[in-house]
Amino acid sequence: MALPQSLRTSVTPLELELIASEHLVEIVPLITMEKTAFISVRIEGAYGPLRPPAKCRVPLWMATNLKLKKKCHIVPPEWLSVDFLQERLTRETSRPEFSKLPFRFAEIAKVILDVASDDVQNADKIKSLLKDLREARQAKSRDGLQKLDHSELSLPNLCSMEINEIRPFFIQAMGILTQLVREPSAE
Amino acid sequence: MDNDYFSIDAILAENQKIQCTFKVDIPDMGHLAGGSDRDIKSLTKAPIPIWLAYIILFSDWADFTIPSPFGTRVRNALKAEPRSVKLSNLVGAGGLWYGFGKMVMDILSEEQANGISEVLTKAFKGRLLEVIDQAQHFAALGPAGGGGPSTDTAQSFREGLDGTERELFALAQESAKRMKRWHEGNDKARR
Repeated sequence: MALPQSLRTSVTPLELELIASEHLVEIVPLITMEKTAFISVRIEGAYGPLRPPAKCRVPLWMATNLKLKKKCHIVPPEWLSVDFLQERLTRETSRPEFSKLPFRFAEIAKVILDVASDDVQNADKIKSLLKDLREARQAKSRDGLQKLDHSELSLPNLCSMEINEIRPFFIQAMGILTQLVREPSAE
Repeated sequence: MDNDYFSIDAILAENQKIQCTFKVDIPDMGHLAGGSDRDIKSLTKAPIPIWLAYIILFSDWADFTIPSPFGTRVRNALKAEPRSVKLSNLVGAGGLWYGFGKMVMDILSEEQANGISEVLTKAFKGRLLEVIDQAQHFAALGPAGGGGPSTDTAQSFREGLDGTERELFALAQESAKRMKRWHEGNDKARR
């Protein structure tokens, strides 16, 4: 295969971030723009019009771009708040199963916090909550490893970034187990 | 691990020898037993590499004993604490204990094969968590790492990893490193 070894096992975090950039977020534009069509994976590839101070839903990549040119404020999604994350963290640490979070929360949160931390209230607190949340969930996927079986593994509510992180060695380990386990033969 | 003709791992795992006891006289093959005798007499014992053993065993020219890496001593040690057994010592450096076990398992009869399969599976599951934990620990240390208080048990566990587990270790470490790089990077310039 022509791909370098490191790219064969799974996609990179950056690629996931790129995929997550298609998510729609709300912005408060600071410039006026007519409805404009872009090349997009969506059928409806046109966004706008931007009419300050009316809010508008645009993809994350566009919001990032405008924000860096100081042409908008990003309105953080409702789950990117101290209250919500605190509640999820409590649930995460008190219950055995993974709590439900947006599938691409890690990527979206990172992009928004990277480029628009001034638009997010309590950005530092949110960063540390996200970190705690990540560690709590990592501990759970580690437990999942303990229950690893050759045929199936069920970890509901695992998010894209977490799946991607455990994919290479979970697959390998399950492959090895498939070889080692003998099915009771039918004869 | 798989028994594919082109699998390098399978070829390496086949390089282990198993102890065979010949049941019949075989003329002109004395060199296999390593001695200077011209013929192999019946009841001679000789270590035969496993790739050669298949045909000898299936033709019913010889019997074999379960090799010592899967013998009672190792089994008991694994039962007591899978993480304290040095698998790499059992099959030589870079050896594939699981691959070898799989091959032995395939030759054996149903009942014994199930026994070996259970030993292998339990050992693998018992050690997996420690392999991944250590891999992630080392990924977290960063490039300068290596320092830090590393306990003797952890160190000796790492030395005892067999080839299959080493591969897993590398995968987990690489994946954890990638995540760490992504989480810590803040590349505004890229956007």
